[in-house]
Amino acid sequence: MSSENLFIFIVGCGRLGSFLANRLSGKGHSIVVIDINDAAFDSLSAEYSGFRIVGDATEFTVLKEAKIEEADIFIATTRDDNVNLMVSQVAKKIFHVPKVMARVFEPKRESIYKDFDIEAVCPTSLAVELFLEAIAESIAVEKGN
Amino acid sequence: MNILIAGGGKTVYFLCRTFTSKGHKITVINRDHDESVWLARHLKIVSIHGDWSAPQVLEEAGTSLMDAVLAVTSNDHDNLAICQIASLHFKVPQTLALVNDPNNEDVFRQLGITAVSTARILSNLMEQRVGFGEITNLITASEGKLNITEIELMETSPVARKQIRDIAFPQNSLLAYILHEGQPTIPKGDTVLYPGDRVFVITLPENYAETIRMLTGDRR
Amino acid sequence: MQARTIILKHYQAILSNTGMIMSMVGVLMFTPLLVLFAWHDEWIYAKDFVIPALVLIGVGGALWRILKSRIPAPLTIQDGGVVVLLSWVIASVFAGFPFMSVLRLNFTQAIFESVSGWTTTGLSVVDVAKSPNMVLLWRSITQLIGGAGLAIITLAAITGPTGAGLTIAEGRTEQLAPHVRSSIKRVVILYAGYAVLGIILFKLAGMNFFDAINHSFAAISTGGFSTKTENIAFWDSTAIDLVSVPLMILGNMNFLTVYMLVRGKFKAVYRNGEVKAMATLIPICIILVFYLVSNSIYPTFGKSIRVAIVEVVTALTTTGFMSTVYTEWNAIGYLILIILMIIGGGTCSTAGGVKQYRVYILFKSFIWEIKRAFLPKNAVVENYFWRGDQKEYISGELLRQLISFVSLYMFIYVLGTGIIAAHGYKLNEAMFEFASSLSTVGISCGVSVASAPPLVLWTETLGMFLGRLEFFVILVSIGKIIRDLTSLTTGRTKL
Repeated sequence: MSSENLFIFIVGCGRLGSFLANRLSGKGHSIVVIDINDAAFDSLSAEYSGFRIVGDATEFTVLKEAKIEEADIFIATTRDDNVNLMVSQVAKKIFHVPKVMARVFEPKRESIYKDFDIEAVCPTSLAVELFLEAIAESIAVEKGN
Repeated sequence: MNILIAGGGKTVYFLCRTFTSKGHKITVINRDHDESVWLARHLKIVSIHGDWSAPQVLEEAGTSLMDAVLAVTSNDHDNLAICQIASLHFKVPQTLALVNDPNNEDVFRQLGITAVSTARILSNLMEQRVGFGEITNLITASEGKLNITEIELMETSPVARKQIRDIAFPQNSLLAYILHEGQPTIPKGDTVLYPGDRVFVITLPENYAETIRMLTGDRR
Repeated sequence: MQARTIILKHYQAILSNTGMIMSMVGVLMFTPLLVLFAWHDEWIYAKDFVIPALVLIGVGGALWRILKSRIPAPLTIQDGGVVVLLSWVIASVFAGFPFMSVLRLNFTQAIFESVSGWTTTGLSVVDVAKSPNMVLLWRSITQLIGGAGLAIITLAAITGPTGAGLTIAEGRTEQLAPHVRSSIKRVVILYAGYAVLGIILFKLAGMNFFDAINHSFAAISTGGFSTKTENIAFWDSTAIDLVSVPLMILGNMNFLTVYMLVRGKFKAVYRNGEVKAMATLIPICIILVFYLVSNSIYPTFGKSIRVAIVEVVTALTTTGFMSTVYTEWNAIGYLILIILMIIGGGTCSTAGGVKQYRVYILFKSFIWEIKRAFLPKNAVVENYFWRGDQKEYISGELLRQLISFVSLYMFIYVLGTGIIAAHGYKLNEAMFEFASSLSTVGISCGVSVASAPPLVLWTETLGMFLGRLEFFVILVSIGKIIRDLTSLTTGRTKL
């Protein structure tokens, strides 16, 4: 449990975004969640005590007014890879947020953006690796028998 | 030139027509099947149906052989993705993105992509045209860093019947050219400005208003 | 059976947090002993505070530690509501002990005074001239803490449940920072700042140190208790009257608004509906009161103006300082004050009443309706108001909640007024005094005295309690407790 209070920005309040927001806020961090749809905030639980901002994060002014320059961490978790990548780059290159992470669904895109200094997390690739490992294991076990 | 356009709607149709009439070879990627079919029927282009920002689709469309890529979809973030993949991965020499949010022109530039905002162009035009009968803003060049304006001098102009050397032009403004009774002149120190003359001034945006005020006497 | 375990788990959290707050209140009960530094002879009263304090700390502490879950769980707002209800009731009872043991008040009177303190009302049945300073200081402290909120003060000192369920249930809903702990800290710092400012100003205006402390606490918490029987009218001082005004206004302002002010965000403050409401209501009412009321009653122009200013501000901000008695006031004077009391103070502050932002929105809705008539038939209109520095759009649901709140408020108001009037009081007196109770104001026209009929005092006590804790929280919490108890005992879950 970290005792430090980090200022964390989360764009996209879907399953991943809201889960992260709830957990991190519960741990004591200051969170700002931005989503284009205010119904998305219903996924936030009683644990969450951060700010909720309704707006399009690809609009420069939305991020600026939310005080993104003061963020320690920026996480992009919308459903659209391109949105995630655009807002992450803006966070990194223009607002100089120290740590920027983005979820990217399409594995092919993940490799292209490796040089942008953004930590891309690709659930598809992770899942593929885990599945492959599991399959390899069961083959090994079978061979062993 | 080989040009790739990603986008849809009437804009794309007319862009394509303009380019093909100039002899360029166009490929269009569109996400909507019916639109792709329509474009294929009405234009002499290569019409591709697919996700315009998917690297796979771009590769199959032959992006690596393109001289220019234009991203004119309705989403700024898609246009950014398309241009970045095109220039970084496929090494396309020229890319241009259309943006909705004028702020993104600058944001994209910082991320390495040239962008153009229709909202900004139109609003500039509106501002500079409304109510100024005698002023025609001709060009906003160099990404908005320069204005070239044509002004017709009226009787009431503060600089009417004065010599150029007696006129205090604001900093960073240049009187490039005068059309006096239909005759073009490059102004010199002793050239006199008369009502009815059309003058062409080059200014930076910061000095635009001041220059106009000086030439027309209007408080804007 | 699954449901039963779940309910029990919830109550474990509820009781644990209640115990936590009880312990804090217990610790607080030691603070009046500080007067012993100046008045050594009051040590005989020490036990009247120490004994209830120890009981609170003992029982509360035990509940807290024993029932505390290993994994800190967030409290839902419903659970938070129950915690708030339980802790306020317990605090009200225990805080009343010194009044009974030292001042020999009966249970009704002691609870009245205690609730008047915590709810920052300020109506009093105590003869302050005959009270030891320890008791006087205790009253002011209950107002200071009650104004901010028991939960928020506890959470500022101790790490409590995660999430904002508890603070929201107690009425602190505005977010000053993107985490509830940071928000709480900022509120407490602002509040402490007000207190210090108040002490300095009152001292400079001519009070002695002890009076300055008590009145500062009473002012910023919009409480209104005084160390003098005549309240601030005792001094009849321009300086003191005028110093109290900004302090009362500060206490009644939404903490978020003041926070914006302190951070230089003047535009957000300027647009704020409550600020606009105050800026309109206060000057207009001062002028009205001056011309219609005070000018004809008080001997000098200066006094008339001062009374008009202080009384209008004390009623609207629901503080309760009195610069005069109301026996000679005419009906229109009573009416203006009653209306101001019902409108009340700013939301998310220490004040009571319907709250300015609700009145502001209802009033603006009317104007919006008129404007709407002039727009094209198919025009889509999105009306909004400023909450902090964010726009909040008016939805049908918001208006509905607002209207049902105001309706319930007026219903309870009429009921309470009726009960008081039924005891033989004049209508204007009953209306005045119950408005003062329900909106936790504290100005009195003479009804609330020690000798008043018990039912009158209990009606006012209940009014104060409902007024401070926002009825829905109380009514919903009571409903929840009843429902949960029935399902636990009958073994059936009634949903």
